[in-house]
Amino acid sequence: MFLHNFKYTFKTLFKNKSLIFWTFAFPIILGTLFHMAFSDIESSEKLHTIKIAIIGDSITEEKKHYDTFLSSITITEEEKLFEINYTDEKVAKKLLDDGDIKAIVDLSDKTKITVKTSGIEETIISQILNDFQKKEFMITTLLENKVKDENFDYANIDSIYQQLALEVSNSNYLNIEDTSQKSMSYTVIEFYTLIAMACLYGGTLGLTAINKGLANMSSLGKRTSVSPTRKIKIVISSALASFIISLIGLALLFLYTIFVLKVDYGTDITSVIILACIGSFAGLTFGIAIASVLKTSEITKTGIMISVTMLGCFLSGMMGITMKYIVDKNIPILNMINPANMITDGFYSLYYYETRERFYYNIISLLIFSLIMILLSVNSLRRQRYDSI
Amino acid sequence: MIVFNAFKKILWSNKVMIIIYTLILVLFAGFNSTDDKSQMNFSATKPDILIINHDKDGDISKSLIEYIGNNSNLVDLENDDKKIADALFFREINYAIFIPSSFSEDFENGKNPKIEIKSSKDYNSSLAELILKNYLSTASIYRKEFKGQELVDIIEKTLSNSIEIGMTNKLDTKKLSELADYYNFANYSLLAGCVFVICMILTSFKNANIEKRTIVSSINYKKFNRQLLLSNALFAFSLWLIYIILSIILIGKSMLTVHGLLFAINSLIFSMCTLTIAFLIANAIKNKEAINGIVNVVALGSSFLSGTFVPTEYLPDGVLKIARILPSYYYIDNNNLIKSLEKFDFKNLYPLIMNTVIIIAFALIFMAITNFLSKKNRKKARL
Repeated sequence: MFLHNFKYTFKTLFKNKSLIFWTFAFPIILGTLFHMAFSDIESSEKLHTIKIAIIGDSITEEKKHYDTFLSSITITEEEKLFEINYTDEKVAKKLLDDGDIKAIVDLSDKTKITVKTSGIEETIISQILNDFQKKEFMITTLLENKVKDENFDYANIDSIYQQLALEVSNSNYLNIEDTSQKSMSYTVIEFYTLIAMACLYGGTLGLTAINKGLANMSSLGKRTSVSPTRKIKIVISSALASFIISLIGLALLFLYTIFVLKVDYGTDITSVIILACIGSFAGLTFGIAIASVLKTSEITKTGIMISVTMLGCFLSGMMGITMKYIVDKNIPILNMINPANMITDGFYSLYYYETRERFYYNIISLLIFSLIMILLSVNSLRRQRYDSI
Repeated sequence: MIVFNAFKKILWSNKVMIIIYTLILVLFAGFNSTDDKSQMNFSATKPDILIINHDKDGDISKSLIEYIGNNSNLVDLENDDKKIADALFFREINYAIFIPSSFSEDFENGKNPKIEIKSSKDYNSSLAELILKNYLSTASIYRKEFKGQELVDIIEKTLSNSIEIGMTNKLDTKKLSELADYYNFANYSLLAGCVFVICMILTSFKNANIEKRTIVSSINYKKFNRQLLLSNALFAFSLWLIYIILSIILIGKSMLTVHGLLFAINSLIFSMCTLTIAFLIANAIKNKEAINGIVNVVALGSSFLSGTFVPTEYLPDGVLKIARILPSYYYIDNNNLIKSLEKFDFKNLYPLIMNTVIIIAFALIFMAITNFLSKKNRKKARL
C-alpha cells in the first residue's frame, strides 16, 4: 500500500500543471528576472562622463588652469570625465533646470559651484575641485613658509615652485593595507532568497498530497479516510513523493542558476546540497502543517502558503537586500523564526564566512522548525472524527 | 445587494492574503523611513565609515577622525570581526579604518605606520578611501615643515578651505524620496494583493454550477455584472484609501501637500488599472489553481522590471525598454517625476499627464480584451 500510494501520488502531482509551474518554472522565471534587474547594479557604480557648464565669460586669468585641469581628467584613455559646455549664466541656469547638465562652475574671482540636487556625480565635481584648490593652497603655504627662511634663494623661486608642485601633486600615503574579504557581491543574497522561496514553495506539493487524503476536502479524501490503510502510511508515502518532486525542481533551479546565471554558492558544494535538502524538507513540513491545521478550501490554503512565503522572503531580502540586515539587527527574533531567512542565511554563511558555526546554527533551526511543523500536523491529523461533512 | 453580500463573504475568507501583502508594505515603509531631518541644502554623498582607534591620545589621530567625521557618517560598531564583516557585506558601513597604537607619534617622526582598512568595494568605499588619503597625503607633506600643534592646525586650515556650493532645488528631497519609495513599493502590494483577491472572487462566481444558478435566477445579468463591477471597484478603492491613510501615518505630513496629492491621484489611477488587470486575468484563466501563479508572475515580474525593488537608475537600459510594455513602468515613472517636481506648470506636468494617459489607455485595452474574451466564452457556453 505504501508503494501504491507513493506511485500514484507521484503521478498525480507530476500531472498537476499549476503545481509543476510553482516548483519548476516559477523560480526559474523569477531567477531570470533577478538576473536582468541586477546585472547592472554593481557595475553601474562605475564612473560615467558628467556634463557640466563653465560660465565662459567669467574665467579670470588666474583661474585659467582650473579650466585646463577639468578638461584634462579622463576616466579611460578615450573617455573624459567632464563634458564641458562653455556658455553664459542664463543659458547655464536653464540647462541645469532642464537636467541637461549636472553643475555650473563659476570661475570668476571666487570659485563657485551650482548644482540642482545632492547626488553622487555632484559630489565628484565638488571633490575634484576642492582637491585642486587644496593643492594650490598647499603649494602657496609651503612656499610662504620657505620664504620666511633668511637663506631663501629668490633667484630660483620658479624651480622651487615647480618642485613643490610636483611634490604636492605626487604625494600619496602608501601604507594602507586592505584586509577585506574577496567575496563582496551582495546581489547573491537575492538568489539565495530565491532558493529559499523554491524550497518553501515545494511545500505546496505536500499540501496538495495531504489534502487528497483529508475527508473534509474531497470525495477522494473521504474514500481514502475510510479505507483500512493506516493513516501514517498514507501521509508518509504522500510526503515522500512530494519531497522527491520538490528536490527534482530544486536540482533544476540549481543547475540553471549555476550554469546559466553564474551564481556563486561558495566552494563547499556538499554543504550547499545538505542545506538545500533540509530547507526543502522544512518547506514540505510547512505545507503539510498548513494543509492539516487550517480548515478551509485548498485554494485559500495555497494562497496563505504563498503569501506567508513571500513575507518570509521579503524579510530575508528578496525585495531589497538591506531588509535582511535591518531585520537581523533590529528585530532578530523575526528572522529567527523565519524559515526563508534560515535558508538564505545558511547560504550567506557558506558564501561569506570562513567558519561553519553560523551554518550549523541555521541547519539546526531548520530542523527544529520542521519538527514543530510535524508535531502540529500530527496533532491535527490523528484521530479525526466527523459526525457529518 | 445580494451580489455585494456574496462578494463580501468571499472577500472575508481571503482576508489573510490582503493583510499579509499590506503588512509587507507597512514593514517596508517603517524600515525605510529613517529620521525626520529634512534636506534642502547641498550635502555631499557621505560614505558610512567605522573607525577603530587604538591611538586614543594622538593629536593626528584625533584630527584625522574629526576630518573624516565631517565628511562622512561615522558609524559606531563593536570591534568584532563578524559584526564588521556583516556590516560591510550589507553596506551598513562602506569602509572600516583601524588606526594602530602610537600612530600619531610614529607619523610625526616621519615613519609610515601601517593603517589597516576593510572596504565594501563599491562606489561609496572609493569615496571613503579618497577622504582618508586626502588627509594622509596632506599631512605627510606638511610634516616635513611643521611639527606638533602647528602641524595639526595647518592641516585643518588647508582641508577646511572648500569651494562654495549652491543648490537650486528647494524641495525637501529626503521626505519626497521616502514618499516616492512608498508608492513605488505599493505597486507590488496592489498587484499582488488586489489582483489576487479580485481574481479569486471573480472565479468563484464563474464556477460552472454557480454560474448556471445565476443565469436562471431572476436577477438581470446586466444588473448582476454592474453590481459585481461596482463591488470590485469599491474594494480597489478602499484598499487604495487604506494605503493613502497608511502613508500619512507612516511618513507624515509631507503627504498633505500638492506633491502628496499627486502621489495619491497617480496611485488611484493605477489601482483602477490593476482592477482591469484582475478582470482580464480572471476572464482569461479558467483554472482557479493557476491564478495564484499568474498573479505572482505578473506582480513580481512587473515589480522587478519596472523599478519597484531596484531603483530605475540602477536598472539596465534593456530592461527598462522591455518594461515599457507594463503599466507599472508608467506608474513608477510618474512617482519618480513627482519626486523632483518643482514648478507645477504645464511644461513640467506634461510628462506626468502623458504617463497617466498611457496608464488609462492600458486600462481601456485590458477592458476591451476582457469584453472580447467573455463574449467568446458566452458564445461557447451556449453551444
